[in-house]
Amino acid sequence: MAQNINPEHPQSSNLTKQSEETVTIKDNHAVSKRLQKELMVLMMSSEKGISAFPDGENIFKWIGTISGPASTVYTGHTYRLQLEFPNSYPYSAPIVKFLTPCFHPNVDLNGSICLDILKDKWSALYDVRTILLSIQSLLAEPNNESPLNAQASVMWANQAAYKKYLDAFYEKHKDI
Amino acid sequence: MTDIDAVWERTCKVFPILKKTLSETSVGNEDIEHVIRELSALGLCESVYESAFIEFDFILRQQIVPRFWKHFESVPDPDTGFYNFQLAVHELYSDFSRAQEVLRRLTLFRQVCRLKNQEKVAKSEEATFDELFRSVLLSQLAANFNDIVYAFYKVSFRIFANSYDNNDQDEFAEDMIELNCNGCGKETERCRCQELVCAFNTTNKHLYKMHLLDKLAGYTLTNLIQERITAHVEETCKGVFDASHIKNLQKWLDTIVINWLTRIFNRGSSKISEGDGYTHNVIENFRIKLSYFLYETYAKLIIDQFFNIIIDFPDSQLAIDDLKVCLEKIDLRKHLIKTLKQSLEARLLHPGVNTMDILTGYVAAIKAIRHLDPSGVLLETTTEPIKEYLRKRSDTVRCVITGLTEEGPTDLAEELAKSETLKENVDVKGKDEMLNWEVWNPDPIDASPVPRPKRTSRSADIISMVVDIYGSKELFVNEYRNLLADRLLVQLDFNPEKEIRNLELLKLRFGDSLLHSCEVMLKDISDSKRINSHIQSDLNYSNGKAFPISSLILSSQFWPAFNKETLELPDEIQDEFKKYTTSYEAYKGNRTLVWRPVTGRVVLEIELAGRTLEMTVNPTQAAIIHYFQERNEWALEELSGLLKIPPSILRKRISFWQTQGLIKERDTDIYTLIDEMEQSQVDPSQSQEICEEDESESAMASASDQREEELQVFWSYIVGMLTNLDSMPIERIHQMLKMFASHGSGVEFTQEELKNFLQRKVREYKLIYNGGVYHLPK
Repeated sequence: MAQNINPEHPQSSNLTKQSEETVTIKDNHAVSKRLQKELMVLMMSSEKGISAFPDGENIFKWIGTISGPASTVYTGHTYRLQLEFPNSYPYSAPIVKFLTPCFHPNVDLNGSICLDILKDKWSALYDVRTILLSIQSLLAEPNNESPLNAQASVMWANQAAYKKYLDAFYEKHKDI
Repeated sequence: MTDIDAVWERTCKVFPILKKTLSETSVGNEDIEHVIRELSALGLCESVYESAFIEFDFILRQQIVPRFWKHFESVPDPDTGFYNFQLAVHELYSDFSRAQEVLRRLTLFRQVCRLKNQEKVAKSEEATFDELFRSVLLSQLAANFNDIVYAFYKVSFRIFANSYDNNDQDEFAEDMIELNCNGCGKETERCRCQELVCAFNTTNKHLYKMHLLDKLAGYTLTNLIQERITAHVEETCKGVFDASHIKNLQKWLDTIVINWLTRIFNRGSSKISEGDGYTHNVIENFRIKLSYFLYETYAKLIIDQFFNIIIDFPDSQLAIDDLKVCLEKIDLRKHLIKTLKQSLEARLLHPGVNTMDILTGYVAAIKAIRHLDPSGVLLETTTEPIKEYLRKRSDTVRCVITGLTEEGPTDLAEELAKSETLKENVDVKGKDEMLNWEVWNPDPIDASPVPRPKRTSRSADIISMVVDIYGSKELFVNEYRNLLADRLLVQLDFNPEKEIRNLELLKLRFGDSLLHSCEVMLKDISDSKRINSHIQSDLNYSNGKAFPISSLILSSQFWPAFNKETLELPDEIQDEFKKYTTSYEAYKGNRTLVWRPVTGRVVLEIELAGRTLEMTVNPTQAAIIHYFQERNEWALEELSGLLKIPPSILRKRISFWQTQGLIKERDTDIYTLIDEMEQSQVDPSQSQEICEEDESESAMASASDQREEELQVFWSYIVGMLTNLDSMPIERIHQMLKMFASHGSGVEFTQEELKNFLQRKVREYKLIYNGGVYHLPK
């Protein structure tokens, strides 16, 4: 078994259940330390288009910002996301959702995102930066196989019409 | 009727007072008794007795007292004043003594006829008269009377003090030909001291007999003596701190002043008779009062000069000891604190004073004040402004470190050397305090009311006090590291033993962990020497080299950041470095060298137009002149491209050669080698100056550069949080930074600093400040 499997996974054995408890008991300290470090890396990377920062004193809840990738229909848009880290992070994925309403085949109207790495493909090697980059690229390349927003997935084929609708939608809902 | 007239005649003869005169009549006691008998027969005793006093009152009011005061009407010059007073007192006294005779008769009168109202005359006639006399006299007090009395006693005191001095001093002092007598101010031949003393003594005697001495002269006397004390203290003690004066002053007071007073109160004799309790008391009172005054004056004098005492410490220790004695007797604490603060502020804390001098002053103040008040409360209160001021100066840390590591005026180096022994003492002291709780004293009321968390800081030693200015050891250690790096790299001729010793001493104080990197730095230097000699002995290397290179190999992790100057060496020189590197790599497997060509020293020999110059310059200068070897003329742009130095800096470097007279700027930004002998015009002294200036340039990034870098880290955090959280007030930003950003870099900074930083960003249009919150521009 890969060591980066989610210990909370229902199929895990007794042994892993025990270790899960120890992980949670082992205190949040290790987790917050990891998050601190991720924050530092993120701050120092000065990567354009993605950013995130703890929302208030709680380091387990972050606000992220991504801008639409260049030369896509999302160019010029800025979306805000919320990242919530569980105590078992990085062994389980953070809960990520859009705060800014986003018209996209894989994002529902509540902002929930359908992205494999946030679900079953999660690995402890991912971090905030890679999550945000993945979401950014998801904007440009939606997975129309499993849409959360059927309308968007249908409209995607016609990029010009999609763009028109998207811009109107964005203007209506944007808060930044 | 005739009877009564005759009796009245006789009565008046006995008591001339009844006719409003004090003229003396000689009558025997029988006459008096006779008159009394006659009067009592007529039952007139009481009326006569009482009218006598009424007449006294009248005479005093109308004649005697006005006459006395008339002497003082004219504005006196000091000379006539003396005689005026003497004369007036003399007259008054003659009146007084005549009155005494009358009083004697009245007493007799009362006793003989046993006046009925005994209780009324319970007081003796003298007392009644005295009361009357004094009240009338003082009720008409002249305005300038005190001046006259003052002048009178001043003259006498001068004579007295002078004669005493003469007795005291060697005999030859009298041989000295003086034009004027010190005492009376007259020419020596006409000195009237003796005469004056006599007059003085009589006057005092008269005053004393009239019981007027205290009333008339007491106030003035006190004033005069206090003035004399002040003058004497100033004269003997001002500016002299290296001697204890208290004993001398006390002796002076006891001998001269008290003797003089005794003479006044004791009718000219300086010995108080055993039974004279009154005089004894008066003198004793004076003595106590005056000695307190003496202490106060002396203490104030010392306090006023306390700044000089601080500067002179420890030579001025005796003066401080004196002050200690004075302060035990008189509470001048508040005055001391106020004056000290003021003088420190006036003398030290203004832009015209070097930081080094302020530090010297601060250290001296710590020493001096601690000597005065070992509890440290006084020190804490008075030196707070200095600390505050030093905190504002940017070069304070540097000065402290320089002071610590080099011999200087601050004695800090000396203190550092002492610190070994001190550490042990602190422990012992702490135990003592617990054992001797009985001798514990509460802090004085002016101590800071906040209980200090670090109780020890009051008894802390000088270095801690100085380091405490900033409250952070890290800052000092960092500065020390920078200075050390500078010394090691720029001034290659350092003294390793001394540096190691300094480092060991600092380690005792600041702890090993903080100074670990400094240790590595020193080790780097000594290791470099070893490696260097090894490489030089490597035949592969030494056979192929064109010129000798010696290197300093630094573990860059442990050294402070270097400045960002760049330099690309000419290829042929680069090759030499490569050879060196190869040899190093062979010696130390898995390691290589990254050269930093900007820092270093090059010994050059320049042959030009038939003369040879030997110089030691920095590598950039050497590289410049190296290129002029190939071509006589270079454009700035071209050279800057080859050397990879920005033109502005390059221009500065070329100016070194211009002052040396080797290169000139033919046209704007075109530089030519001067090959003829025309360079002789250049003033050599000027070039020397510039050369030195260059020498002292630091190889390290300056403290402000480093700070800037740290702030840059914060800036990315700030951008991060503002991107995601929109707008925030400064408190929140500061808090967030403290929570999330200060872990990595370990830098602390204040909200004030942050505010300045943010405001600068606002000015650079990188930030918008609106309604109390900051946000990023869209």
